[in-house]
Amino acid sequence: MTSLQNRGPNSYVLLQVGKRRFALPADTVEELAPPVRLHGFPHRSPLVVGVIVRRGHIVPVYDVGPVLLGESSPAHRFYLVARRMFGRVSEPSAIPVSGECELASCEMQAPQAGRPGYVAGRIEVGDESLDVLNLETLVTSPAATNQSFETAAWEAQP
Amino acid sequence: MRFATQTAAKARRARRSEPVILFTVSNETFAIAADAVQEIRSTDSLAGAALEFEQSDVPKVRHAIERAHRTYYVVNAGMHFGLDVTRPTLVLMLRQLRTAVLVDGIERMAEISALHPLPRAFIGDERNWYRGLAYLDDLVIPVIRPAGFLTTEEFERLDQAWKTAEEQREGAFSA
Repeated sequence: MTSLQNRGPNSYVLLQVGKRRFALPADTVEELAPPVRLHGFPHRSPLVVGVIVRRGHIVPVYDVGPVLLGESSPAHRFYLVARRMFGRVSEPSAIPVSGECELASCEMQAPQAGRPGYVAGRIEVGDESLDVLNLETLVTSPAATNQSFETAAWEAQP
Repeated sequence: MRFATQTAAKARRARRSEPVILFTVSNETFAIAADAVQEIRSTDSLAGAALEFEQSDVPKVRHAIERAHRTYYVVNAGMHFGLDVTRPTLVLMLRQLRTAVLVDGIERMAEISALHPLPRAFIGDERNWYRGLAYLDDLVIPVIRPAGFLTTEEFERLDQAWKTAEEQREGAFSA
């Protein structure tokens, strides 16, 4: 999946982070980018591990592994580029993902009780029940802000 | 009547490139506008001119240099950016600021044609450290905001500490 044609209002992009699968609303996703070079420089922003350059834009990369898996994301193959809102302005943000992404159409259900705040709901795909992530809440959650802000030492694995 | 595309093309042509100095600190590369730097000196040449703070409220500043009746505070760029402390060899004396910066080395001069704003995802001190990002020879390089090395409050604390140190030195001489 490198482009997102045929997406509807109930479309979700299924992504894999480490060994777990999650979903993002397809209308927030721009593209699945190849493992381009990750550029790092000193900063103090939690979860941000650097930037990539896509179509002339500098796109920040979030390692959401510490929040979703409790550890840094293992080797990844692609970057999923999604839009994050900052007030009325949106900016592309990238998440390293471990494998190909899929597009699924289904109704989102309310999240199960006790799920973290960044889980907007859940969808059933085949026999799987997947958490639908709210990117904004995910990268600003208390678990995210408690993370170290060191630039990660990993690079994309082709 | 002008077509928008013609105007945009003209604006692109008119966009000036900016000369920058690329320098390194702890294996990281940074850019600073060339006209923000007054002078580059080796740390050895300042050995006699720099005075050490016995106690500094601002840990990244341990020395000051008196030049032309002005006190320049010497910022260790490695400590400023939270990098591994190295052995700096050069001092960048900044223009229009009472700041000098210890760096590991100068890579080269370059010209940047565009300054990309720092993405909003960056929410920490780096918003003060950098004017933006440059994309140069397939590398994304942060472009330094010269005034970001020391805040007004840090200048006030350093001025106070410097004044106290001077009074102590004068007291020691008169005794």
